[in-house]
Amino acid sequence: MNVKVDTDGTVAHQDDAGDVLLSVRNLRKYFPIKDGVLQNVVGHVKAVDGVSFDIRRGETVGLVGESGCGKSTLSGCVSGLTDPTGGSVHFNTRGRGSAHGPLDEGDRIDRMDRATFAKYRRNVQMVFQDNFASLNPRQLVVDIVGRPLRVHGIASGTALQEKVVELLEQVGLGRQHLYRYPHQFSGGQRQRISIARALALDPELIVLDEPTSALDVSVQAQILNLLNDLQAERHLAYLFITHDLSVVRHMADRTITMYLGKVVEEGPTQDLFETPEHPYTKVLLAAKPDLDDDPDVPIQTLAGSIPDPARPPSGCRFHTRCPVATSTCGWEIDDIVRELETREDLFDKLVGVDRKSDLEATLTFSDSAAAHAVWEAIRSDSVPETMRDAIETLDVRDGALMVRFAKPSAIELREVGTGHRAACILAGE
Amino acid sequence: MSVTDPNAAPMRETAFSVRTRRWRELSATILSNPTTVIGLVIIVALLAMAVFAPWLASPNTPDPYQMPRDWGAVRMPPGTPGHVLGTTNQGGDVFYGVVWGSRTSLQLSIVVVSVTVCIGIAIGSIAGLVGGWVDEALMRIVDVFLSIPELIFALAVAAILGPSFSNIILSLCIVFWVKYARIMRAQIILVRQADYVKAATVIGDSKFNIFRRDILPNAVTPIAVQATLDMGNIVLVGATLSFIGLSESGIAEWGVLVSEGQAGIASGRWWASTFPGLMIFLWALAFNLVGDGLRDALDPRTEGR
Repeated sequence: MNVKVDTDGTVAHQDDAGDVLLSVRNLRKYFPIKDGVLQNVVGHVKAVDGVSFDIRRGETVGLVGESGCGKSTLSGCVSGLTDPTGGSVHFNTRGRGSAHGPLDEGDRIDRMDRATFAKYRRNVQMVFQDNFASLNPRQLVVDIVGRPLRVHGIASGTALQEKVVELLEQVGLGRQHLYRYPHQFSGGQRQRISIARALALDPELIVLDEPTSALDVSVQAQILNLLNDLQAERHLAYLFITHDLSVVRHMADRTITMYLGKVVEEGPTQDLFETPEHPYTKVLLAAKPDLDDDPDVPIQTLAGSIPDPARPPSGCRFHTRCPVATSTCGWEIDDIVRELETREDLFDKLVGVDRKSDLEATLTFSDSAAAHAVWEAIRSDSVPETMRDAIETLDVRDGALMVRFAKPSAIELREVGTGHRAACILAGE
Repeated sequence: MSVTDPNAAPMRETAFSVRTRRWRELSATILSNPTTVIGLVIIVALLAMAVFAPWLASPNTPDPYQMPRDWGAVRMPPGTPGHVLGTTNQGGDVFYGVVWGSRTSLQLSIVVVSVTVCIGIAIGSIAGLVGGWVDEALMRIVDVFLSIPELIFALAVAAILGPSFSNIILSLCIVFWVKYARIMRAQIILVRQADYVKAATVIGDSKFNIFRRDILPNAVTPIAVQATLDMGNIVLVGATLSFIGLSESGIAEWGVLVSEGQAGIASGRWWASTFPGLMIFLWALAFNLVGDGLRDALDPRTEGR
């Protein structure tokens, strides 16, 4: 599926692979980091940083990634809970069975008029991870599930009650649960109540934010089956956010992998699981415990922790932890600093970093021996070889170390198969 | 329908019956605590005294809230015929003061607590919901208020307004809302991040409805507990202000009576101060007991689980 965003923001479809319901274009959400008495903004956490994807009618899109990669922020933007910093979310409010037309400026949820936005609201619902926190503890089930109907003036009185019973029956509950409080149910039942509430307005898209993560495995399966049945009955689209790859494989038609606020790979679920192209997806898949695994072989895991999203690595954001990184993956001054942080004796002597750019800087040390030791370390095997290869010039003079990295390759999502795209220079090779 | 099935709902179950049952359960929890019951009994007794004041001690004319003066029987000890609890230096009947003082104290507590709770909820909600510079400005005002001890602040305000009982009420209202504002703000900030608030937004409910149905009911519990405790504390502070002479003299009010009677304590005339003092003590104690019980019963860790 090729979708291009023109300069004026119009989304043009070159390929009518399906009936696009939701389009996310170059979406960014930055959270300011405030510091000091005056609460000056000293930086931004780039939770979501330029994400684009589409969801078609009746389709399940799985969104996977480590915690902290921006999945939940993205779900907030899609469901209109969070205002994005930049980019846009478009939603087709023309209703089921409407002729498929391209989503344009008029479909941007932040520019919709009141009536259109109300349609969007009705058509995008959400189910949350924490089944206890997502239900008001002081409301009865009949009020919780009936509330959307009341708010949108769809039903009231006895009709409302009957509609609620109908909804409860669809999720496997019944009339006897109408006058109970949320705390009188089990976790799985509470999640069913949440689903009933989400169904009340007969939406076209439900954002499922880790809907089964807090449940027992046996209950998880029941909820997943329920979601599958409801999708078949009502032609629902799901945005399924999770870190559980087995769940994604079971549920999703297409899968998107996110790392540090960016999409690193997307494609049909089967392709993505069978021929993952991005090293991060590969590592995620390898880290998934499987019943067939040899219990004596340790599970392959990812080295290091997720970098600070306030200063994400340049180039490919995964290059700092990538097992197959090359010299053109985006090595930069920050990587030297990160390496130094692991060497306390040398890091303590680092006095200043004078950056000319992300790729060029002069590091000043309190004594020339330290500078020399760092110079030696960078030239030796104690740093990743690919990082060493990326250094164009390395000079040491009187306690100052001058480093310049070669310009990295541009890294963008590119086609590696039908509808399968990955953001890695090695992809498709 | 089988009675033995615990999951089966009674056929005539309605929202009303479920809600009243919830209240019944809550009251049962509260009443299972003996100290709370003691507190409730004292409160009921004092309220009964306030209600039946005209029958317990026939009202003074023209103003029943002024102490009657029996100049023929000054400084009489308790047990004197016609003056069960004795009389004051000015011939005021101590029993009359105790009985009618319950009305003034009740008035003080109810007016001050309801006014301050309303102001506190309003200011705290605005600060917590609007945030930004509005929140900053309001909370700095709260900080200024909190930096001055309540009693001294109330004293200063009452002194500026001039000595009268209604000015004491006014000064307490001016001073005591800050605590509620602060509690409310913290609660609002906590509750507004709850997923059920997000869920209500996604449903499309209005901000006002979300505040009314989701945020407010889940935020006010600590306020209710604090207000109950303050019902007692306010009377203490009010009595203190009266005691140091910021109320009109001659009024049937416990603090004033303690104040006017204290001169006689050194000469052995203990009764003029002791009986009204005992009432203040009982009133404050009772509300503290009930407040503690309410806090335990409403504790989110135990409530409804």
